[in-house]
Amino acid sequence: MTTPLLDITGDVCPMTFVKVKLGLHEIIPSGKLNVRLKEEALKNVISALKAGGHRVTNVAREEGIFVLEITKDG
Amino acid sequence: MSEAGFKELKKGGMMRQAEAGLFSVRLHVVGGRLATPQLRAIREAADRFGRGEIHLTTRQGVEIPHVPQDALAAVKEFLAPSGVGVGVCGPTVRTVTACQGCRVCPSGVIDSPELAGAVDRELYGKPVPHKFKVGVSGCVNNCMKAEENDVGIKGWIEPRWETPACTFCGVCQAVCQTKAIATSGDGRALLIDPALCIGCGDCITSCPTGSMREEIRGYRIFAGGKFGRTPSLGKRILGILRTKEETMAAILAVLDFFREHGKPRERFGDTLRRTGFPALETFVKERTGLP
Repeated sequence: MTTPLLDITGDVCPMTFVKVKLGLHEIIPSGKLNVRLKEEALKNVISALKAGGHRVTNVAREEGIFVLEITKDG
Repeated sequence: MSEAGFKELKKGGMMRQAEAGLFSVRLHVVGGRLATPQLRAIREAADRFGRGEIHLTTRQGVEIPHVPQDALAAVKEFLAPSGVGVGVCGPTVRTVTACQGCRVCPSGVIDSPELAGAVDRELYGKPVPHKFKVGVSGCVNNCMKAEENDVGIKGWIEPRWETPACTFCGVCQAVCQTKAIATSGDGRALLIDPALCIGCGDCITSCPTGSMREEIRGYRIFAGGKFGRTPSLGKRILGILRTKEETMAAILAVLDFFREHGKPRERFGDTLRRTGFPALETFVKERTGLP
């Protein structure tokens, strides 16, 4: 099964955070979600994920855009 | 009353108003914090001795304006039982300002009201060559504007990079506002430039693998800031201090330097312009043994 991809490059805080939260709702515990986001959203999104018990298990980069692989708390 | 008499009253927090015979009574407030019984007493005093007005100063102080000269002693006496003291003015250490600090604010790194209290107990109203202001910001968001003060303090987080788990994903470098994190030439280490790091801890908060960690959660001192007619911003001195006690020792040494080198009616920033900052740093380091 391919990991679903959520693109929040067009969003600003707090929608970035809200969309990631909603995206994770669709994922089973310990499942993965890829999130494509801009540099400026990194800090808030990652700190919120960590606070929620989720983990960033991979980071890929492309020209000012990051793709985070998130493993849902499980 | 003679000019000398007015000056003495001013030092004791009773400031002559534009209107003859009236005074604005400055109160002793630390870190902008008052208990409700104190507030009630201040309200009552303003009604009884002033014109029912209270002025909030730019530096978290409180004044009761429009108090007649013959009521100055009575207002002081009235406020004392509620634990409200009269403030200071003139060439003294002034109101110590503080944010709410780490006990209240989620961004807080240090307990700023606690440090402000310690500074106040040790130094409030003590004579110096010219007015001397101390302000404490709990973190580098700097709500208390540390660099505006003769001595400003900020809560500061020093990051430390640890090798094993780092994947060199680039997140810490992307979130660092001052671009203080560089990759080494061989690409196998991250180097944090202490001159550029502003102690925000964003790299730590954002690191997916926990490779950025807190080395020190402490205090950073800025010296020589002022506003007034010719504003200048305070500059960082010393390394990151680890405790409240170290910070107090540093502040006391800074004041000793000002007393030795400052001229009457010369703000500390102007003294430092003459002596240079390295002279202050050397003096404080020798006096305290701090880094």
